[in-house]
Amino acid sequence: MSQQQKSKGTALAVYIIIGIIIGAVLGYAVASMTMVPYSKYAALETELEQYKAGAGKPGAPEYTFYYVSHGGPADPWWAPVIKGSQLAGQMLNVKVVYSGPEKFSIQALVDLLNSAIAAKPQGIILTITDYKALDEPARRAISQGIPIIAVNVPDPRPANQRIPYLSYVGQNEYDAGYYLAKYLIDKGYKPKRVVIGIHEVGHVGLETRAKGITDAITQAYPGTPVEKLDITSDPTKAAEAFKNYLTKYPDTDVIFTLGPLGAHPALQVLKEKNLVGKVHLLTVDIDDVILKAIENGELEAAVSQQPFAQGFLPVVFMYLYVKYGIIPPAHVPTGPTVIDKTKLDTVRKQIATTGGA
Amino acid sequence: MATQTASSRKSLLLLISQHPELGVIASFSIIALAFLVISPDKFPTSSTLYSILTLAGELGVTSIGVAFLMITGEFNLSVGSVYALVPMFVVLMVDAGMDMLLASVIMLSVAFGIGVLTGYITVRTGIPSFITSLGMMMFLRGILLAITGGFPVRLEGSHWLTDVLNGAVGVEGLRTSAAWLLALTLIFLIILDYTPYGNWTYAVGASPATARELGVKVWRVKLVNFGISSLLAGLAGLMALSRFKIVDPTLGQGLELEAITSAVLGGCLLTGGYGSIFGTFLGALLVALTRVGLVLAGAPAYWYSAFIGVILIIATIINTYVVRKFVTSG
Repeated sequence: MSQQQKSKGTALAVYIIIGIIIGAVLGYAVASMTMVPYSKYAALETELEQYKAGAGKPGAPEYTFYYVSHGGPADPWWAPVIKGSQLAGQMLNVKVVYSGPEKFSIQALVDLLNSAIAAKPQGIILTITDYKALDEPARRAISQGIPIIAVNVPDPRPANQRIPYLSYVGQNEYDAGYYLAKYLIDKGYKPKRVVIGIHEVGHVGLETRAKGITDAITQAYPGTPVEKLDITSDPTKAAEAFKNYLTKYPDTDVIFTLGPLGAHPALQVLKEKNLVGKVHLLTVDIDDVILKAIENGELEAAVSQQPFAQGFLPVVFMYLYVKYGIIPPAHVPTGPTVIDKTKLDTVRKQIATTGGA
Repeated sequence: MATQTASSRKSLLLLISQHPELGVIASFSIIALAFLVISPDKFPTSSTLYSILTLAGELGVTSIGVAFLMITGEFNLSVGSVYALVPMFVVLMVDAGMDMLLASVIMLSVAFGIGVLTGYITVRTGIPSFITSLGMMMFLRGILLAITGGFPVRLEGSHWLTDVLNGAVGVEGLRTSAAWLLALTLIFLIILDYTPYGNWTYAVGASPATARELGVKVWRVKLVNFGISSLLAGLAGLMALSRFKIVDPTLGQGLELEAITSAVLGGCLLTGGYGSIFGTFLGALLVALTRVGLVLAGAPAYWYSAFIGVILIIATIINTYVVRKFVTSG
């Protein structure tokens, strides 16, 4: 009897916990419905609101474009891209549907592309993250009369073999690595040993960046050891991997990282081991931690690929093509732009207005 | 003479069957020895040891909870999401002006509650915990992504709690996370092997029906152990936050599988009822040791995953053999 009562007590406690959690979720759902999304960027929000309220704008969108990308909501780098695409859509009165998998997955990307094709939009904007997997569905879309513009990652094959997309908007990943390393060399620095921390092994874009870095350094100073290090996207593992590499090769004087997930732990290691100023740290992509580190002289330079432009421009080019038949140039670069102390202010403006750089 | 060897052999078998961690001790020693031979100058140093302990810190703390629950016969795949959820909300609360200690206590209670909830759904519906906790893992990760919009959150300012949870001790790379790992290993080792509650845990894992007949409250043991696994994952997440002061919404993805790897390396059976906290501790150390050792050996870093896969299979074969030979046959 008493045991039954006790287990009733346990059950009651559990019901209360369930209640609290359901309540929290419902509360959040209500809050998120009433809140404006991406409220971090007030200036952009008001701009968007103005367009939404837009005097004299026709109600129904003229076209629907699908923006299919490997970058899901988990990766902060893509947030300005999403915003850029949405703002262009608002300005041109086009519906832009953004879809990306939560976790990096080529299969999920292919599935999303197939759903996009099934929706029969007037245009598809696509990251060619894996040209083998995307070749068939992309060609099928084009044969059905849906034009494709590639963004962020191009099809690396020669022009006569690649997917016949209209244009590629984005930075060349190879150049991003190449010009970042070249920045260091042009300053007259001769590295002794270089390590490249790669946080998502097997990601073609990151591997290509690493190849750009390697080529720039070995072309300038043949024989310089340049090694890739698998640091994973976990900060503790990344930090200890860098530490152990520095223990193994104490002559390492340059660290490259390929994104914030590598740059943050690398910064931490340099601080913990008192190596700031002794080991040069350069990274691809930017966020406010990285900008602060550039300002403090802890991080030498970062390359920005201006992601907002990668969201905004393809929508504009697609619109011009679909509406007026204007064929975009084959490659529209949005970078690489190497950011060091001298360019901080401009980049800060970009971040304040678009949420990323 | 013959009886003497037989009895000493029998006591050896008894020793093996009572110590699931023997397998992992063997593989740990062999691999450590191999790295010692490959890099005799860099490997046996205090900074290497500290690096291994640091790497094992968060993983080990999570693994202890996961192992405890596995011995109860259940899985908790949501630990990776809880690992990110707890520090994320602590940062949000601290940014809103709350004291970090209070925020941490609140979020650790929430973590315990999430574990209990997962357990409750599992026990109540009879759905395998693999599925319920998988669902919880996705649900929590989705909440994280929705709230942050994919951006990392940063802990501004400093608080004494961060030094306690994962502060640097000296300049060689030793961190307080190592002390937490050792202390929690000891605590849960004692609970599992030297208290009635530990006995209940084994009993529930081995045979819930028998345990119930013997008067063990199977429900309660399961719910509490679900809670513990979730609580320890949250604590480990706070340890990660304390060092880097930044939480990415992707933090802890894949941690659940690494924790299960450590537990299985340490001798835990997927079917429950058998396992060791000390073994799990060594399992986490083994995972960390392999990662550190491969870098120090100058091996192409991309081989880590392949290497740990082979070790996992070999260690499991040994464990399964030991169990089949000495435990189930009495």
